[in-house]
Amino acid sequence: MNAAFNVKSRWSWLVMLLIATGLLLVGGMRDTGPLTQQDRIDLITKHLACPTCQGESVYVSRAPSAEAIRSEVARQVAASVRTNDEIIGYIEQRFGGQVLLVPRSTGLEVLVWALPVVALVCAVAALAFSFRRWRTVSGGEISQEDARLVADALNNQDDRP
Amino acid sequence: MFADSGVAGTVGRALLLVGIVGSLFGAIAAISSARTREAAVTKLISRFAILNAVAAVGAFASMEYAMITRDFSLAYVQKVGSTATPALYNFAAVWSALEGSLLMWVLILAGYTVAVSFWLRKKMDDVLTNWAMGVMFIVSLFFFLLSFGPANPFVVGAAGVVDGPGPNPLLQNHLLVMFHPPMLYLGYVGMTVPFAFAIAALVTGRVGEGWLLATRRWTLFAWGFLTIGIILGGWWSYEVLGWSGVWAWDPVENASLLPWITATAYIHSVLVQERRGMLRVWNLSLLVSTFSLTILGTFLTRSGVLNSVHAFSESAIGPWLLSFFAIIVVVSVGLIGWRGDRLHSPGSIDSALSREGAFLANNVLFAVFAFVVLLGTVFPLVVEALQSRTIVVGEPFFDQLVIPIGIAMLTLMAIAPVLPWRKASGELLSQRLFWPAWCGIGALALSVFVGATGFAPLLAFGLGGFATGSALRQVVLATRRQGWRGLVGRANGGMIVHVGVIMISVALAASNSFTHSQELSLVVGKPATFSGHTFELIDVVQITTDRDISVKALVSVDGGKPYAPAITKFTKIGMNVGTPSVRTGFGSDIYLTLEPPVRQDSNEARIKVFIKPLILWLWIGSGLMAVGTVLAAFPGKRRKPTDPTSALIDSHEVSR
Amino acid sequence: MTATQPRQRRVAPFVATIVGMVLFALLIVLVTADPNPSDNAESPLLGNPAPAVVSTTLEDKTFELARRKGSWVIFNFFNSTCVPCVNEHPDLVAFAEAEAKSANPAELYTIINDDSDGAVQNFFETNGGDWTKVRDSDAAISVAFGVAKVPETWVIDPNGYVRLRIAGQLTETLLTEQLNLLKEQFGS
Repeated sequence: MNAAFNVKSRWSWLVMLLIATGLLLVGGMRDTGPLTQQDRIDLITKHLACPTCQGESVYVSRAPSAEAIRSEVARQVAASVRTNDEIIGYIEQRFGGQVLLVPRSTGLEVLVWALPVVALVCAVAALAFSFRRWRTVSGGEISQEDARLVADALNNQDDRP
Repeated sequence: MFADSGVAGTVGRALLLVGIVGSLFGAIAAISSARTREAAVTKLISRFAILNAVAAVGAFASMEYAMITRDFSLAYVQKVGSTATPALYNFAAVWSALEGSLLMWVLILAGYTVAVSFWLRKKMDDVLTNWAMGVMFIVSLFFFLLSFGPANPFVVGAAGVVDGPGPNPLLQNHLLVMFHPPMLYLGYVGMTVPFAFAIAALVTGRVGEGWLLATRRWTLFAWGFLTIGIILGGWWSYEVLGWSGVWAWDPVENASLLPWITATAYIHSVLVQERRGMLRVWNLSLLVSTFSLTILGTFLTRSGVLNSVHAFSESAIGPWLLSFFAIIVVVSVGLIGWRGDRLHSPGSIDSALSREGAFLANNVLFAVFAFVVLLGTVFPLVVEALQSRTIVVGEPFFDQLVIPIGIAMLTLMAIAPVLPWRKASGELLSQRLFWPAWCGIGALALSVFVGATGFAPLLAFGLGGFATGSALRQVVLATRRQGWRGLVGRANGGMIVHVGVIMISVALAASNSFTHSQELSLVVGKPATFSGHTFELIDVVQITTDRDISVKALVSVDGGKPYAPAITKFTKIGMNVGTPSVRTGFGSDIYLTLEPPVRQDSNEARIKVFIKPLILWLWIGSGLMAVGTVLAAFPGKRRKPTDPTSALIDSHEVSR
Repeated sequence: MTATQPRQRRVAPFVATIVGMVLFALLIVLVTADPNPSDNAESPLLGNPAPAVVSTTLEDKTFELARRKGSWVIFNFFNSTCVPCVNEHPDLVAFAEAEAKSANPAELYTIINDDSDGAVQNFFETNGGDWTKVRDSDAAISVAFGVAKVPETWVIDPNGYVRLRIAGQLTETLLTEQLNLLKEQFGS
């Protein structure tokens, strides 16, 4: 591998990065036009839980209570007086908090959002801890078996061209 | 309670008792053989395994016989049997409720037990083998007891019943019900085998040997079935449930996904053990978690603490499953805590930027993924226990958390396959990733060109192209070097699985982000248009059978052949089930459902149209996953399962 | 391989203890989880003004809840194919008869939930009950009250405030007792 290749590839990586960023910006920011009424209905009902079937959204469920909520949402969207959040708020006010499919980020529900982050931090910390541990271990004495293992691994370091 | 039953009931109950006795004595024989090393006792182990299998097959056959002959003396047949059910669905009705599903569990478990004992027939004098068989028998014993006790399918029902309602209408509406549950159970129950070996390895303290690696293929086998089972479930949802989706983050779906996640983590990280002899304890823990999660999932979905569309039956087996789960947890956590340090492996990982570093990152991602799914599933129970309020955690929650995890996984899939073991240099990476990265740019440009929007889906498409490039690079290089052999073995087969996974991810990203739907009120002779397609109602027809009344709307799409979304009323159960109709295409599917209220004698119908992009990619990707799994299971070179770790690498260093 | 290990701290028991404790907590939650959580009869509407209800009756007359102020109003959400609705019907008939004789009778209305006029008419002709049946063809009333699953019975006080929700099948005694309690508490 010579230096010329290196420079070329560094430039081409930069070009790639620029193209990717450009494409992402173009695609990500462009206007998709106004939502149709049906799009709004789908969006709202995906955030509401069917009151009689735990865990399913109103969008998914075919239960009568879900049909009823869907038609109410459709009516309110057609009237176009309330915003999406207000319609969700209306349904919550009538059925109670258990029709919200996305837990709020207040009270005990904070846990459901915070714990995954805590888990990620713990997992990464555990990994870092293991790396440190491996580093201290590798200073220790090496048995014959270990040496053979490492030799094997080195021999087969990479079997691709 | 057992009086007056037909021959099937009597035989079935007797065989379940035989199974209980067989498992009990099998476990005693296996464990005492491990302790006393008595050859006469050792011989008995395989015999008890065979006895178990005969009992389970017989009991299952009796249930089928009772169902096929419509033996309404049994309560179970009264519950799910009906003279009006078509033969195929009647055959599948055996596993349409709790008791029968558990019987299938027993059958498959007994099958695995006898298969393992046959596989190990020459190694039965090994202490570790004995312990593994002992664990298999103990698990069998539990399920035989469950099937004989609280969930007995052979209980005699009320006298004088001559017909029943039949299985849940959702379970007699599509042929997939024949395949989805058995596949899923083959995967679920198959996780018992590696678990048994993990426990045996912990008990005997012999983790360094190749035993765990030998069970890798069993795990892969079970994992493959679990994958197919989950995908068939998604397909079934798409074809039957009528909301045009494949996955709803429903508790039962989550319960099947959880062991899949930990098993996937295992089949990756076991490669580090195979290559470097490391991560032994971690791999054991993954196997133990996988098995415990199958039991926990069964508890969550079968005890009635969580409800879902899938919970077709509930019963009093909750405390049994929970106790069993507790025992598993206590035993395995205890064993790992006790043995863990002793089993700690030598060696270390030099650089995070290496193949093994990538596997570790993979494991972190999968562990967090599993945690998110488990948390979302049990969180309503936690809130209920602490504050006695009802809350729901659903799709938007999972989407928000799983999308970043998925993006991270795609990134890893793009980079990891080109990483060498031990240590990688930036130069090497730059060289190897060059063309795959251009694939990614190409995919991104193509998706922007066809009009995709939004950062997350575009990232998914771009990274999907990148990862496909990396996977294909490996396969191309391997086949160029080794010919057709470059397609088999875990690395190459694994890359084909990766391509399948990427196709599925891209399909899910596309269909979740770019589905459009519209309700159309159609009148015969007046076509309506939506999203560039024309929909014309041709006729509304009604078909009556002795099982159901179904109303079909014949809708011609773009002037082509008519599609027939329907609503079927199952007269005996009084439940309406919609049947969607789908025009499949490579770019997008057109998914039609008939919406209530239905007036059969009119020339009008309300139709809901979903335009779903890239759904076909889901099924193609699934096929690739299945093919890749089979290829990965074929070894590049035959080797003995008990060879020490280092010999697993084809190396001239090891000469014995 | 174990010979080289003594310098290291033992980690496994420590990690296992933490994992064990987390799992123990999970087990406690699972043990206390109530199988088949019952319908709770709570509603954010309790103690608040009832939603506006304007609809038509089976006799095609206008029905407006606001005009019923001054007397206790009971809404029974009903569907003729739902089994508990059919089961509780005799109790409702008995309640209506007893109430008609009382000094300050409450008004009972059936709100038809996702059912056809004909089916409801047939049902009441066969099983009795001569109170007014109100149409809810587009489910607006059901959603306004947050009715999850019929049958549900709601009590509204003379000032138009929602006072009680009974989810599921009721009995005559239960309804009478609850109504009397409410009448004492909130005046009549």
